[in-house]
Amino acid sequence: MSNALHQLSAVELSQRLQAGTLTSRALVDALIARHEAVNPKVGAFTALDIADVRAQADASDERRRQGKSRGPLEGIPVAIKDNIAVKGQPLTCSSKMLAKLVSPYDAHVTEQLRSAGAILYGRLNMDEFAMGSSTENSALQKTFNPWDLSRIPGGSSGGSAAALAAGLVPLALGSDTGGSIRQPASHCGVVGLKPTYGLVSRFGLVAFASSLDQIGPMARSVEDCELLLQVLATPDARDMTCFDASHRQPLPVAAPAALRIGVPRGFLGKGVAPEVVQALESVLDFYRRQGCAIVEVDLPSADLAVPTYYVVATAEASSNLGRYDGVRYGHRSTQASNPIEMMTNSRSEGFGPEVKRRILLGTFVLSAGYADAYYVRALRARAKIRAEYLGALAKVDVLLTPTVPTPAFKVGEKASDPLQLYLEDIFTIPANLAGLPALSVPCGRSGQLPIGFHLVGAPQSEAKLLAAGKLFEAAHGFAHQQAAL
Amino acid sequence: MAEGFDIEHLAKLARLQLTPEEKVLYAQQLNSVLGHFRALAEADLPAQVDDALVVSEAALRADNPGPTLGAEAVTRVAPASRDGQISVPRVVDDEA
Amino acid sequence: MSQSTASSDWEIVIGLEVHVQLHTRAKVFASCGWGFGQEPNEQVDAVVLGLPGTLPVVNREAVERSILFGLVVGAEIPERCAWDRKNYFYPDNPKNYQLTQKDFPVVVGGKVEIELPGASRNVMGEHKWIRLHHAHLEEDVGKLSHAGGGSLVDYNRAGVPLLEIVTEPDLRSAAEAEAFLRSLVAMLTQAGVADCDMEKGQLRCDCNVSVRPRGATKLGTRTETKNLNSISGVRDTVIYESARQIRELQAGRTIVQETRGWNAEQGRGYVLRDKEDAHDYRYFPDPDIPTLLISRDTVQRLQQQVPENLYDRQRRYMEKLALPYTAASVLVAQRRLAEWFEEAVAAYPANPQGIANLIANDLLRDLAAGSAESSGEGVSTTPAKTVDDCPLKPAQLAALVKLTDEGLISKQQAKEVFAEMFKTGQDPMVIVDQKGLKQNSDTGELEKIVREVVADPAVAKSIAEYRAGNEKAINALKGPIMKRTQGKANPGLIDQLLRKILG
Repeated sequence: MSNALHQLSAVELSQRLQAGTLTSRALVDALIARHEAVNPKVGAFTALDIADVRAQADASDERRRQGKSRGPLEGIPVAIKDNIAVKGQPLTCSSKMLAKLVSPYDAHVTEQLRSAGAILYGRLNMDEFAMGSSTENSALQKTFNPWDLSRIPGGSSGGSAAALAAGLVPLALGSDTGGSIRQPASHCGVVGLKPTYGLVSRFGLVAFASSLDQIGPMARSVEDCELLLQVLATPDARDMTCFDASHRQPLPVAAPAALRIGVPRGFLGKGVAPEVVQALESVLDFYRRQGCAIVEVDLPSADLAVPTYYVVATAEASSNLGRYDGVRYGHRSTQASNPIEMMTNSRSEGFGPEVKRRILLGTFVLSAGYADAYYVRALRARAKIRAEYLGALAKVDVLLTPTVPTPAFKVGEKASDPLQLYLEDIFTIPANLAGLPALSVPCGRSGQLPIGFHLVGAPQSEAKLLAAGKLFEAAHGFAHQQAAL
Repeated sequence: MAEGFDIEHLAKLARLQLTPEEKVLYAQQLNSVLGHFRALAEADLPAQVDDALVVSEAALRADNPGPTLGAEAVTRVAPASRDGQISVPRVVDDEA
Repeated sequence: MSQSTASSDWEIVIGLEVHVQLHTRAKVFASCGWGFGQEPNEQVDAVVLGLPGTLPVVNREAVERSILFGLVVGAEIPERCAWDRKNYFYPDNPKNYQLTQKDFPVVVGGKVEIELPGASRNVMGEHKWIRLHHAHLEEDVGKLSHAGGGSLVDYNRAGVPLLEIVTEPDLRSAAEAEAFLRSLVAMLTQAGVADCDMEKGQLRCDCNVSVRPRGATKLGTRTETKNLNSISGVRDTVIYESARQIRELQAGRTIVQETRGWNAEQGRGYVLRDKEDAHDYRYFPDPDIPTLLISRDTVQRLQQQVPENLYDRQRRYMEKLALPYTAASVLVAQRRLAEWFEEAVAAYPANPQGIANLIANDLLRDLAAGSAESSGEGVSTTPAKTVDDCPLKPAQLAALVKLTDEGLISKQQAKEVFAEMFKTGQDPMVIVDQKGLKQNSDTGELEKIVREVVADPAVAKSIAEYRAGNEKAINALKGPIMKRTQGKANPGLIDQLLRKILG
């Protein structure tokens, strides 16, 4: 079957580019044409510098002609979430606060992609400052789920997931603090990996919650995801939380043939939609048939995960976003007679409601008289959660749950109740709290709407997750699915 | 109302100016969220705080001066500048 | 301003927080360089500016200098230290939080020996120990200036490594505060931890002052006067503030715990505008900087770099080398000077006092004059040339003293030789030969000259006065004798011969 270029996997594209049957320029031109037709419907990209990506593609083709291909990603477009710095490109975080900011430097991952010869392809929409689960909090534009344009794509990496599901790009970067890669991947029927905390440098990722944030690869297959991960996961002395060479385990590690899969007790009863339960049970049946042991595990502190996350994440965010005051860069209010007024007005004009809510909450949980009751307790709860997960993962290879309790909801449906949205993150949050790698893989549908399953592993066990994911996707038809647009 | 949650005080600390409507709405929404945090207040927690991250001196940086942005780049990014410095409205005198 | 003498009914209690810029080339959490006198915003990189997505990385040299300071003051260097965020909004604070150390500082405890002024210049004053609470490593903020209707910010200083040294409230007077700062500066500079050039703003001090009735154990309410950038400012603040508080209490009022500033020109303190909510810094551990493990190997290596404490050295000079206080205190004030002195003594151990005098008087004077010349002004504003700058070597100075002791040249001649040595760096013997300066100690020759002069009727009157009991009259004969010997006669020998001949 001859697929259009936009339907090919990154692996296949890489092979054709290497074989010389395809040029990067031809690929990029095809994607630009599709972008012009489809992006207006989906709203995944907030910017695409067409002249620049063509120039990059030409340069890549020239390198290849001279025998200087830089590796498997040479000439392959990778779209980038608008909170990851690319020198000379916007770094808006989908916020009015940074709407005019052009980044003067490259993130570590950007440098890595350049060294790999990849094409840095456009800027992707997101929830403002990565705060949200639907991308509705973008101050720039709306993004819609390619499978049903009346629904949200998930968030905060909604632009990344939608771009992949709409066939606008073969690979994308997202960022994940409480599920922001995995949840939109699940809602859009694509694959998303949040690496072990510390595996991928955060230098150049606009910070939301420093101890939780990670950049991760997103693609239409686990195999494609792995290709991208290998380029991203390298040491970086500019991020003290990033593993140095001596603390890294080699990727990939030979995964055991039959995995032990842990299913947390009671998870499927937590407000999970029936079609999601059904899809998960099919997944478990599949793995059982492959000879995997399915074991129930106890995670008694699971109820603490969402409050713990929202205390820690908002606390760190309230501090990380303190720098946005209109003094050195970004939006500056014109109404002010003294600096305090100027900073206050700039922030109030520049930030949207969800950002303000989280800053207020974070300020509260750190404030004098309350820090002990909230922030310090949350750190202790986090230690407990992490210990339970590590304990469980000492007995099984991976933990398996749905990625999200329910499929994508309609645009505007949950806009007035932040708490509802926070509870969406119930399956994804623990991996961020515990710093563990986690993968979402498409496994079913609710009508047209994709459903994903979620695997969590021990630190630096990405190879096991990817092996389990590849095992599933090879036997099912969910890889490379694209919405007809 | 969650005990101690004073939205005006918090807005001032966070340098945010809220409209009266926003104050009411956000206070209500955040109080609902804080209500959900009761599990955290009541849980039996170990004394130890999460400090998984520890590094040796190998992670420290050598004392070799690296590149600067240059005053030109700094003032170019800044909303307002004068003679290489970033300008802001007059800081109110320190003396009370 | 008038010195207010605290009545003996009151005790003044002072604690200091001294902010010292450490001697590193790059900033503490960012990699760009720093230094005095650069154009605004030229020493700024993406991390300093707080651009979105940037992260801190701790400078090893800043940590090691902090540890070195801890070892110098005999503090505990803990196994681990960590950094916290102090959150507050201000235009000079790029991230609107300052990275500091609240709970796990790099230096814990320690103590500093201070020396108070003695009864007179030549008498060593009382020594006292001042305990430190801790010292922590943090980043400096940018500089705000005011121009016309607005304000300007320069971030060159933002991110410079600061060691904040916090004392216990052990100081009891302005004199003690001053002595503490002098001792601290000496220890910091002598160990190479910091340059402490206050004109460049490298050392700033916050001064906490309270008073209480003498004999009371509970501390009074204290005020904090911030950002003092000179030792005299600290001294004057203590005097002013303690007097103010005593007046208030005597009038039946209470002391308000407040933050104050010091106006040096007007000689008065004033209340700083209460920065609203300035006290809720919402400290929490910085999640970008993991806890740092400090190896004992590093501590041991740095221990080797701890120099001899200046007061230990001073005691050693006074006790073992019999130097008077005046000479010893001058020598120990600069480490290189003391080491230079010791090299000279090693070359010629018989007369440490002679060597000390030559250094303290002639060498230091010539070094200071040299730098005043080069600065082109009467008063030197550049640091005096150090002892390593002069062409003279310790062994040479020692040789000069030895020559003088052996009587080859007189003390007077030695000064002439020294001046030439300072200019040219030549050995003393070479200069003595060149100038033909060898002192004439030929007894026979000299006796002949003395007898000739004594026989001269011009000095008969003086001789008579001398024989009549006027000791000083003998000096009138020495001039003509020196003239006859071109000033080379050994004065001691001349004196001996005269007394022998005159009877």
